[in-house]
Amino acid sequence: MPASPTPREFEAIMVARHGIQLAVFLIKSHFGELVSKVCECLLNRGSLSFQELVRFAELDPDDKSRNSLLVKKSLLVLIQHNCVQAFSVPKLGGPGGLPKLQTKYMILFDNVLHRLRFAKFLAIVRNDLGPKCEALLEGLLQHGRLTFDQLVLRATSKQPEATQDCVRTNFNELVQSHYIERCPRADPFIAPTPETKPGRRGSKSSVEIPTIEEQAILAASLSDIERFSGISPATNAGVEEKDEKLSEHSPSVSVGNKRKREIEVDSDVQATISETEILWRANFEKFVHCLKKKACVENIRSRLGVDAAVILEAMIESNCDQKATENSSVTATMDAILEGVRRKPGGNAMALEQVRIILDQLGCHLCSEDTGALYTIDLKGVIEICRNDEVESLVLRRYGKEAFRILRLLVKDGGKKETDMIADTTFIEKKENQVLLYKLWKDEYLDVERVVTAVGKQLTYFLWEVNKKKLLMHIVNDMYHAALNLSKRAGHMIEQDPEILLPKQGLPEKLQKEKTAEKRRWMILQSSLAKLDDALMLFHDF
Amino acid sequence: MPPQNPRLPKLSDVESEMYSVIKSRKGSGIWTNDLKKEVMGPPTAVAKALKSLLTKNLIKEVISIKNKSRKMVMAVEFEPSADVSGGAWYQSGSLDVAFIKILRQQCRRHVEEHKVATCEMVRKAIKEPKRGRPPVFTTEITLQQVYEILELMVLDKEVEKVRSSGVGDFSHVPEGRDCYRVSRGEGGPKEGAFASIPCGVCPRIHECTPDGVISPINCVYYNKWLGGLDF
Repeated sequence: MPASPTPREFEAIMVARHGIQLAVFLIKSHFGELVSKVCECLLNRGSLSFQELVRFAELDPDDKSRNSLLVKKSLLVLIQHNCVQAFSVPKLGGPGGLPKLQTKYMILFDNVLHRLRFAKFLAIVRNDLGPKCEALLEGLLQHGRLTFDQLVLRATSKQPEATQDCVRTNFNELVQSHYIERCPRADPFIAPTPETKPGRRGSKSSVEIPTIEEQAILAASLSDIERFSGISPATNAGVEEKDEKLSEHSPSVSVGNKRKREIEVDSDVQATISETEILWRANFEKFVHCLKKKACVENIRSRLGVDAAVILEAMIESNCDQKATENSSVTATMDAILEGVRRKPGGNAMALEQVRIILDQLGCHLCSEDTGALYTIDLKGVIEICRNDEVESLVLRRYGKEAFRILRLLVKDGGKKETDMIADTTFIEKKENQVLLYKLWKDEYLDVERVVTAVGKQLTYFLWEVNKKKLLMHIVNDMYHAALNLSKRAGHMIEQDPEILLPKQGLPEKLQKEKTAEKRRWMILQSSLAKLDDALMLFHDF
Repeated sequence: MPPQNPRLPKLSDVESEMYSVIKSRKGSGIWTNDLKKEVMGPPTAVAKALKSLLTKNLIKEVISIKNKSRKMVMAVEFEPSADVSGGAWYQSGSLDVAFIKILRQQCRRHVEEHKVATCEMVRKAIKEPKRGRPPVFTTEITLQQVYEILELMVLDKEVEKVRSSGVGDFSHVPEGRDCYRVSRGEGGPKEGAFASIPCGVCPRIHECTPDGVISPINCVYYNKWLGGLDF
């Protein structure tokens, strides 16, 4: 059975057939046919060893001897671009033989899809840290993973006036803001999980054993301190200063000098290693968090107005939760919220009482602590509203206002509702109600249960409900399909006219007008894809 | 056979039996096919008796909300029960759209006027004469009716249901009470990203494949969408 990185990815890969097609299309358009075949093989079959990949991928059916070379090159490309993670597992040898190590390769489905979002990631950094940091991130997104030295080389070749110190400053800004991180371990070893002893009959274990891929991700990941420790210059001023203080109080100058030299040598070696050997990459987790924040703020702005959006944004930015990117819960003190609000345009005029009322409207939970009033909000609730909006809008367009009402009723109250009860609450003619319910059930928006009463006259009732999990999977799959279609159509336009994006000067007026219209059509496809991807992230990433 | 009511016109045996069966069903009425099964006699005589009772104005035909094609009859002195008529929102077997529309407008108007209003407040405002004018409705509007209409408006995202905090806009509503206010922000259903592209509403999406007969390259809906954009 195919396996995959996490249960969520497993679900996405298994159910969302169109997700696989989209991922393969992205890899094909970025790296070509051969790499996409390896990607497709890993997506369909789960984690595989090199030999298995060579056997299944069949990159060159005419010349099988070339297969391993092609697979190796394709894997290197995918690893370089953070789309594949390798891990080692023990493999039993023959009878009496010693166990060997086998390296397996797993596809990182989410990271493949993130390739759709690079423009959004760049915009986030441009707005937050400026164009110089954006240029550095662009390098990492283009090349997947690079050392600091390679980044400096790239920056100086593009902008000769850029100095290494200047690049280092921008680089460290990116690291401190967690936009980039050190790459995870290349090939972690996964020890076999000891088999659990069978428990007492009837007792159920609530602890789920992580899949081998989940273990691999965990084993490959670095601690936060390692991930986000920046690059220091070769001769550290801080070390010198520290050492001066040390020598002042030291009874023996010679011992102090020796230690100083040792520290200098150590830090120089460390700095050289950091600059030339340590690989860096974009931290997608942070970008997903930023986009989640943006989606929540936008939703609040459209529902509760600008002031509420400003307050929520300030609250998320002053979150005191250390694991902000992993948790959906946001906690901030009133002082920090006020400070954040005052820094925002239009926030200066907001009075404390107004902020309090809006925090209440946002559904924030207030708990007092020694440090002052502490407000907590779970962004899951906002995301849930965003998802419902997306599904409702789809039902409204596909089936009309009455079906939209039915869906809202069933989502709002949860649980099962009887046919006539739905008609009565939604004010829909009973016959039309039945027709709509049938359509929604047929298209897998609703589940139905038939109940026959045996008391007195036999009556049959139909109970309807929204199966949220099934519905979301179904919609996400359709969204992948739509994203693939938009990408294909845009790609086709470029194939038809490779110069579609070039300036149109010098052409006859009529032709120029036609070409400009074609370019705008292409841009509409791209902007629709970006918006659809925002919606996709609501269901898959947030 | 039950004794004949002295005030009733003279009825034949079949008519009399039929009338008592119909009357026993009170406001629920009876389907004519069921009636024919209950009243023994030749079919022509039964049909004739039914016609006769209608002519004598002892029974009336009613439309059942559950099955409009079924011919239902009921004694004239009874009003159709909610099961048959569909309740207060139905008129002659169909939703009373005009009444619902006016009541809905009234509810919205009063919620807007109060900024935040409970069900009782809206009902009271509807019942009261305004600026010397009589109330819009001559019939009694129940609290249940107002509640149902407000809940419908919540489903349509026209108003939102909130719990009173007792301060600010809520100062005239006791704390903790459920109340309604006109949706803030944009209100109404939102235009989703998926619904705004052809694939979101495509009836052929499941037949569409990258290199198939229906594909994004030759899709007529795409052509219509992109071709219809005026630059």
